[in-house]
Amino acid sequence: MWLPIRIDEQRPEPLYHQIEVQLRGLILGGQLKEGTLLPSIRELAVSLKCSAITVRRVYQDLENEGLIRTRQGTGTFVAGVEPVARDEHRLERLTEELEKAIEIGLQLGCAPEEIETAFRQALHRKATEKGEDSS
Amino acid sequence: MTIANMEAAISLRGMKLQHERFALGPVDCSIPKGMVTAIVGPNGSGKSTLFRALLGLEPVRAGEIEMLGTLLDGNQGDQYKSRIGFLAENPHAHESHLTANEKAKFASNWYPSWEWERYNKLLRHFDVDGGIKLSKMSKGMRRKAELSIAMAHDPDLLLLDEPSSGLDPFAWKTMLEELGRYMEPGDRTLVLATHILEEIKRLADYILFIYRGKVLGLYEKDRLLDDWRTIVVQIDYAAKGGSEMLQRAPGFQGLSEAGAGLYRLEVDDPERGEAYCRDNGFRVVAVQRMELEDILSCLIRKEEARR
Repeated sequence: MWLPIRIDEQRPEPLYHQIEVQLRGLILGGQLKEGTLLPSIRELAVSLKCSAITVRRVYQDLENEGLIRTRQGTGTFVAGVEPVARDEHRLERLTEELEKAIEIGLQLGCAPEEIETAFRQALHRKATEKGEDSS
Repeated sequence: MTIANMEAAISLRGMKLQHERFALGPVDCSIPKGMVTAIVGPNGSGKSTLFRALLGLEPVRAGEIEMLGTLLDGNQGDQYKSRIGFLAENPHAHESHLTANEKAKFASNWYPSWEWERYNKLLRHFDVDGGIKLSKMSKGMRRKAELSIAMAHDPDLLLLDEPSSGLDPFAWKTMLEELGRYMEPGDRTLVLATHILEEIKRLADYILFIYRGKVLGLYEKDRLLDDWRTIVVQIDYAAKGGSEMLQRAPGFQGLSEAGAGLYRLEVDDPERGEAYCRDNGFRVVAVQRMELEDILSCLIRKEEARR
């Protein structure tokens, strides 16, 4: 099966880290449902143009976290994710993205109050748009 | 040069060969089982000689070779070869009068695990007519036929000497698919000599660099690509020994001038290397991953400096 994972060679993070973060995100974000059969180590390595050692490391880390399970002879599957873990992940991801936006704001020389106002306005606008879309 | 926690398919211990004009070794390295190792080096580095030594076709002057647990001490017989598939760099002239199927018939007598169904499947996938004489085939067509024969007994160890030479891009893609499928069960070992960087990128787990008969290193490919970086720095005080200072950077591998006051620093310890530059007042203009060929050139330059 094909996984929407992309390696960005311009990023300084090691390859295994890039793959691990994205695969963890797919599982915790619910895009990969419990019981989904993941590609074999070699299959994923070939499709990402990375080595089997790197993929094995990613699978081992995620298995230790309880996110995937390997059954001898059948393959590697997505394990069940606790709703608590999923919520935590969602908030973590949100915080990360907000921090990036704040970083840019500070680089542009905005005062914290300005950022806060801009955030509230953007949130209000988006929430209204969404409300209109669904009505 | 041993990879920790890894069973070896091939072990070379102080192995030395001597020809009239060419010496190989001493080579110490273990090629891990279940993995793809690419042997990379300029022409005439000894890649093909190394393959011949692994098949017991070269007299070993010193040291040991162990293949799939069999020590090649001259009394090993040919038994161990039945679990190996080999594709030579150049076709054998004495086989040219055979059709692909005739050569396959001959090979099938040697290998107990030979399967005609696998052979035919490979031919079909490569789009080769096995009834044609090898001498009448184009270079690429013959390559595909010979590769099918080398893989038809589903060997534990596959040795390929520049397998893609002569293949068109479509056949090349088919070959990558077949080699990926071959590695799928996880216990097979593939060793290939190649100059094609894209092939190394897509297939290799490990890279064995050789140069002038010497092993420059056996590296985990992704570690190599993760660790080696070019740091472009601006030196405002070149006169005051800036370049000497850069040569003391952690993980220093190479340094070249890239323009007025601009230097390209090559390191294999990127984080500490970059921090060193900043701490010493250099302006870091860019940090880039390095391409395999640049890493190899850098290793060759270091080896040359040592000679």
